[in-house]
Amino acid sequence: MTKYIVKRVLLAILTVIVISMITFFAMNAIPGGPFNSEKAASAATMAELNARYNLDKPVPVQYVLYMKNLLRGELGVSLKTGRSISTIIGESFPISAKLGLIASAIAIVAGLILGSTAALMRNQWPDRLIVFLTTLITAMPSFVMATLLLYLFCMKLNWVPAFTAGSNHIVLPVIALSFSPMAYITRLTKTSMLDALSQDYIRTARAKGVPQLKVIFLHGLRNALIPVITYVGPMIASILTGSMVVESIFGIGGLGSKFVSGITNRDYTMIMATTIFLAVIMVVANLLTDIVYKLVDPRIKLE
Amino acid sequence: MKKLIALLLAMAMVLSLVACGGGSSKPAAESTGNSSAPASTEGSSDATPSAGKADPTTLNIFMSSEPAHLDPALNSSVDGGCLAVNSFEGLLRYNAEGKLEPACAESWEISEDGTVYTFTLRDDLKWSNGETLNANDFVYSWQRAAAPTTAADYNYLAAVFAGFTYEEGIPADSVVASEDGKTLTVKLAAVCPYFLDLCAFPFFMPVYQPSVEKTVSDTAPAGTWANDAGEDYVCNGAYNLQTWNHDADMTYVKNDNYWDADSVSVTTLNIMLTSNDVTAYTAYQTGDLDFIDSVPTDETQNAMQSPEFKIIEELGTYYVGFNYSSPIYDELGLNEEQAAVFRHAITLLIDRQYICDYVGQTGQIPANTFVPAAAADGNGGVFQAGSEGYYSATDYEGNVEQAKELLASIGLWDGEKLTQDISFTYLTNNSEGNVKCAEAIQSDLAQLGINMKIDQQEWNVFLDTRKNGQFDVAREGWVMDYDDPINMLEMWTTKSGNNDCQFGRDDSKALDWTAYDNLISDIRTTSDLAERAQKMHEAEDMLMDTWCVVPLYYYVDPYMIKDYVDGVYGTALGMKYFYHATINTAN
Repeated sequence: MTKYIVKRVLLAILTVIVISMITFFAMNAIPGGPFNSEKAASAATMAELNARYNLDKPVPVQYVLYMKNLLRGELGVSLKTGRSISTIIGESFPISAKLGLIASAIAIVAGLILGSTAALMRNQWPDRLIVFLTTLITAMPSFVMATLLLYLFCMKLNWVPAFTAGSNHIVLPVIALSFSPMAYITRLTKTSMLDALSQDYIRTARAKGVPQLKVIFLHGLRNALIPVITYVGPMIASILTGSMVVESIFGIGGLGSKFVSGITNRDYTMIMATTIFLAVIMVVANLLTDIVYKLVDPRIKLE
Repeated sequence: MKKLIALLLAMAMVLSLVACGGGSSKPAAESTGNSSAPASTEGSSDATPSAGKADPTTLNIFMSSEPAHLDPALNSSVDGGCLAVNSFEGLLRYNAEGKLEPACAESWEISEDGTVYTFTLRDDLKWSNGETLNANDFVYSWQRAAAPTTAADYNYLAAVFAGFTYEEGIPADSVVASEDGKTLTVKLAAVCPYFLDLCAFPFFMPVYQPSVEKTVSDTAPAGTWANDAGEDYVCNGAYNLQTWNHDADMTYVKNDNYWDADSVSVTTLNIMLTSNDVTAYTAYQTGDLDFIDSVPTDETQNAMQSPEFKIIEELGTYYVGFNYSSPIYDELGLNEEQAAVFRHAITLLIDRQYICDYVGQTGQIPANTFVPAAAADGNGGVFQAGSEGYYSATDYEGNVEQAKELLASIGLWDGEKLTQDISFTYLTNNSEGNVKCAEAIQSDLAQLGINMKIDQQEWNVFLDTRKNGQFDVAREGWVMDYDDPINMLEMWTTKSGNNDCQFGRDDSKALDWTAYDNLISDIRTTSDLAERAQKMHEAEDMLMDTWCVVPLYYYVDPYMIKDYVDGVYGTALGMKYFYHATINTAN
């Protein structure tokens, strides 16, 4: 196990380096630059800015310089605003992560319950209703969902203010973030639960007189979890790092919008920092997922 | 029943196909405009009637998404400028009539030759932290704003000072404070009729030296002190930044050390920061916001019905730029003179009123000059007064007839149809309004059989492509930084970074653009203001003679404000002033 984890960690580092390299060269290859604007700045200003941020050097040299700084823990400043990137990530990630954790928890718990219910009551009305709703939610893009929530709860019902300075109401964004993964988990759970319930060992357990709940949760659900876990690991990673759409609609200063604005602004340091950050979270999530597999199903060998 | 539903669905599909697919034709664009109306009417009927507000001390405001810089010297956006004018103050400021009035300076004298300004500052000026502010702070701030290491977008404005260079900045003897810090003496390179306007512009507002110098380092650029709220954020205007939740909101509170604090009755400004104007519009309708600086395009028609919807005529022109060096002219077999006739014809073929009514939708004014109709002439008058423009902005039919004659004169029109295929590409960024405008032009030109393709590019790519002259025709726009025509004329000199039409850059062309360059430098040094205005007319004529610049409309600046708020005003340069606002709690 330890040997396996060490191996995986080394691989993860390699993955992150490769990702950083691809991102760095790709973002430099696309047209546009961080100091472009409708009203062009003077040539002297452009030269000064390019020199300050090493943008006047060849791209491979820039990459080496960037990685050197990264190893020292320096993410640099945003080329757009001049703010320190570690400060930006330090203040926006906790916001996104808090929303993301709550949303993930809701998605997982509700998804498992709804999925199991649908599987157990197959072809009865609760199953039909759940299938209908999850299909609807899956088909609905997040910006439609978020706008609908805004319209309904802020505008029509007036339950939640659309803007209050200094505080964020987390209910609507959490709903908007959790619905789609919840629907997906429900469908996954239902499918794999149906599969698990039709297995021989369930029939054996029932024949032996094991109580119904124990059959469902201990024998059924536990074995149905593998595909769900496969999905949940990366899902948590992506939900933690925020969603541009949800953040912009509910006015939340999270990390999600930084990915997108970084690219639109060609804010190179911001693109690199957010990409590497997301990559690290992703590989960690994948590693944890694999370890959880082992805990859930001892038959799986981590080699 | 099923059949009926199927039929309805089919009809809906066909309708949506017509609406989407026909986006380039005018009736479709019209229907897009109308189709959003019913939905939004429903929306506004729910709006809380704004009869009065419980809290008379707080204004909730939406300008735009987070500004890149709050440092007035580094800011180059209009929304950032609005925050700057409410928290910093220069030597002068604009009042509700759009006129300049004394601010930090209590009076000023201008030397006879118009190149030396002596400002007398108010007594007891203070920074928001209580420290004394005097003329030395202006010396420091201006030197710093213009310094190459500050790398401000607007540093070209410092070219008005005698001896300014980009490399060295402003020479020490061009901006001098008296020993007692009471007066500021400024030497200009030449007569500058808009210098006092610059004194009210954010770039020339003072910044607090100890904060700036404390925070700047090898790794922290010039504006670091203003990146967050806190003790380093020191200002001298009506409001000071108290909290800044990045990408979410800001809170400004009244600065009690402001010299005019007595006239500030609203003590708190909450600023919503979002890139989503639909959310802002919703918050406005529910009463969570009192002021919004933009309205979602789809809601415009409906919002305009409200008495709370206001429009300021802005000093700016939305236009189309032809690339002088585009290969299309060679392909059509046109020499440079004929190419100008061709561009003249295209200019006349555009239905500007239609674009204003159905694309702009908020009362834009059809343009027939490059310098906006309302711009001053630097000599106490209006620049375009008495000018008939370069063509009729509204007589579309007459224009089309004239365009046909022009095309016939260069052999491209035989009285019935084009004599050869004409095809070129229109470059625009992919935002909705700009694309719709391109489509309106496309359909105008299609009526004569001219095939204009639309190339939509992502904003940052678009800027590069346009700047590098890799286009035939491109969408352009310019809102003036200060009210003087030179601001719109000097951008066309050969070496200017904004010379998108590429005048004078292609040696194989016969066009002699050095004459224009010389004219602009001549204007900069002309001390007779009437003569200066005359020369600026010459420059505009010269520019328009190329027919590379095709004005479409003059910008307007729409915003919405609750009827219980009084005293908020804006200028034709896009700034909004909140410090004299009052809120009625009555009703």
